[in-house]
Amino acid sequence: MIFRKTLLATLIGATAVGAALLPVTASAENTLRMAYDADPVSLDIHEQLSGGILQLSHMTFDPLVRWTKDLDFEPRLATSWEQVDDTTMRMTLREGVTFHSGNKFTAEDVVFTVERLKESPDFKAIFAPVESVTAIDDTTIEFTTTKPYPLLLNLATYIFPLDSEFYSGTDEDGDPKDEIVKNGNSYASRHLSGTGPFEVTNRQQGVRIDFERNDDYWDQSSPGNVDNIVLTPIGENATRVAALLSGDVDFIAPVPPNDLDRIRNDEDVQLVTMSGTRIILFHMDQNRVEAFKDPRVRKAFAYAINQEGIADRLMKGFATPAAQLSPAGYTGHNDELSPRYDVEKAKELMAEAGYEDGFSITMMAPNNRYVNDAKIAQAVAAMLARINVTVDLKTLPKAQYWGEFDERAADMMMIGWHSDTEDSANFYQYLTECPDAETGAGQYNASNYCNPEIDALVAEANVEVDLEKRAEMLQAVEQALYDDAAFVPLHWQDLAWASAENVNIEPILNVMNFPYLGDLVIEE
Amino acid sequence: MRENVMSDTIVPGRWARFRDSYLLYSFKRDLIAQISLVIFALLIFAAVFAPWLAPANPYDLAQIDILASELPPFWIDGADPAYLMGTDAQGRDLLSTILYGARVSLIIGFGAVLMQAVIGVSFGLMAGYLGGRVDAFLMRLADIQLSFSTLMVAIIVGALVKAIFGGATFSEYAVPLLVLIIGLAEWPQYARTVRASVLAERSKEYVDAARVMGLKSRRIMFRHILPNTLSPIFVISTVQVANAIISEAALSFLGLGMPETHPSLGSLIKSGFDYIQSGSWWITLIPGAVLVILVLVINLLGDWLRDVLNPRLYKG
Repeated sequence: MIFRKTLLATLIGATAVGAALLPVTASAENTLRMAYDADPVSLDIHEQLSGGILQLSHMTFDPLVRWTKDLDFEPRLATSWEQVDDTTMRMTLREGVTFHSGNKFTAEDVVFTVERLKESPDFKAIFAPVESVTAIDDTTIEFTTTKPYPLLLNLATYIFPLDSEFYSGTDEDGDPKDEIVKNGNSYASRHLSGTGPFEVTNRQQGVRIDFERNDDYWDQSSPGNVDNIVLTPIGENATRVAALLSGDVDFIAPVPPNDLDRIRNDEDVQLVTMSGTRIILFHMDQNRVEAFKDPRVRKAFAYAINQEGIADRLMKGFATPAAQLSPAGYTGHNDELSPRYDVEKAKELMAEAGYEDGFSITMMAPNNRYVNDAKIAQAVAAMLARINVTVDLKTLPKAQYWGEFDERAADMMMIGWHSDTEDSANFYQYLTECPDAETGAGQYNASNYCNPEIDALVAEANVEVDLEKRAEMLQAVEQALYDDAAFVPLHWQDLAWASAENVNIEPILNVMNFPYLGDLVIEE
Repeated sequence: MRENVMSDTIVPGRWARFRDSYLLYSFKRDLIAQISLVIFALLIFAAVFAPWLAPANPYDLAQIDILASELPPFWIDGADPAYLMGTDAQGRDLLSTILYGARVSLIIGFGAVLMQAVIGVSFGLMAGYLGGRVDAFLMRLADIQLSFSTLMVAIIVGALVKAIFGGATFSEYAVPLLVLIIGLAEWPQYARTVRASVLAERSKEYVDAARVMGLKSRRIMFRHILPNTLSPIFVISTVQVANAIISEAALSFLGLGMPETHPSLGSLIKSGFDYIQSGSWWITLIPGAVLVILVLVINLLGDWLRDVLNPRLYKG
């Protein structure tokens, strides 16, 4: 009996100690283990204009201003701004901010950053309206635009000041440290110094990235209490969900549509969904395939693809079928356009164009970038078989896909686009304008579609101050693109994230899909 | 050996010899072997006549309808009678895809084994009979080959072919390529076994006799020694067919085997993997079960054959 009592006492004691220890260790270090479908392709935030890179930017850098959940502007490294005249804006910068390297943040860093952005092949098009930026003193900068430009603050959400001292000079190979090499191996793609809430401590591309909280972070009012982040890419949908449900990770994105119910029904995890504004589409490269120069063939493709079928079956209704680029609520959204699915009509158009017997094309799509991207590409390939088009489909991880995309390596290529400025014009600028390496226009226009009339209309709309007139113009652009079948729109994909019950993700998420992880609270 | 002893009587016909053989005798008494053979024969039949038996052609993309995707098999509510075993995420009829997939699996299984056997048996005979430097060279080659796993060789060759000739060419020649890859990767199994048997046979009198008669090495190897090493070859072949089918399924599961537009059992299992825990389990489980049954019956038949052909077991 005595022995038993002792044993019992020891057991109780051990449990009590264990219980007492747990919260102590938990409050000492909060580690967020998260799994995305892929990790960022580079540490150089100016190398690629993509969701993954912007998510990284928000973790390790701070923008001048950022969007709130309700799409208002929130001051970050810029504390205030005023319009001096039609083409000049003056911004006051935050004081007492330091970079991860210890260097002090000044107006010179902003000038350095904007100049680098204007050199970046991916970003230069959106920064084209900015003529110059000058440092008035250490904490004041002045933007000058070429014409009156109403979206300058929207642009400022993409200015994440870089550490100009850290990125100056040359590396051990003698290459300049601020060099931008797309899909290459530059100093900036391997090293990073920002002002953001987290520092990168370890990175194995495709395996994991470790982040550690920046002890000297300027934003002391942020409620964020995450000390360490481990980001693991898990490409396989089912595995990612299983990792969350088994407690191996605390936060996952995206959540595959077929698993939404499973996560909703699990009491230990929470699900956050939003209707999205990211358009998924296929480009048809006119430089590679002669037939795509014929609008009848492009229209036949548009008629052959069943957007509603894809949204309903593959996406389980977790997407809105699209017939244009601008989602509902955007200025350019044209209510009269609806998906046109009609195989008979498609066959007629093919016959009219003289391609009754079809032809062969190559197609590429990523397999870990957009929700169900590879499955969608397979479905589209099957749909095109009905108009006798044979598709050689290749799906690949995004780290390789974007390199192929930049080379326009296939006849049809998939891309998803979220407007960088939350405005319709951004879609046209990148996806449909005549490609021009000089200005960066049409940087992601893998159709090589070129219609100067439409481009002129977009340019005119960009300087139109009468908002009603501007909306009319942008809607006319959508109509023209639709009539010309410049590309095949598929759907706007909805957003979904899921996390463990104690990880309070809801307040830090937004429709841009930039989780503000610096402000994330893990409850105990 | 009976025929040799009674050489002065009339030699019985092939059928009569088979009827009197120990092979049939033991088969008639082994229920597992009988069941396995029936199932195996059914699967072969279904695979060979897949184009006529299948309700749809799963390789014809124009017949696939996305609106018919993820339909359950007939015994579950919401099933469409047109799709007996349900459909996959793209709307392919699962029954048809399984029939065509089994066909691909069997072609690759038998093709790869035939190739392994041809290479392995020739190398094994040469190594065992000629010995010396030839033996040392061939066996070191086998050692090197064995130090790479089949999957690794397959992944490297597959990736190289895709990179050099492009995805379209790979899709077109996927079946012969997989036969080639799996065949090349596993020949040492044969070579090793045959060599061991040859070493045992080489010192027997009948080989000496043949040599004294002045027969050429090649004739002695293939006409005299080879027939006496056939039993282990048969046994390995059954195991290797099963292995090759599994290798193909594994490669396709990894996305390196059959292209997505021509799904085999392995690629079907993979395509359903995303859905296994979210309701549509049949996309993975039904082809998975077919694959397991196919490999199991081949292995069971191989087991039985090994028992029959093992001289220590039946002569006692």
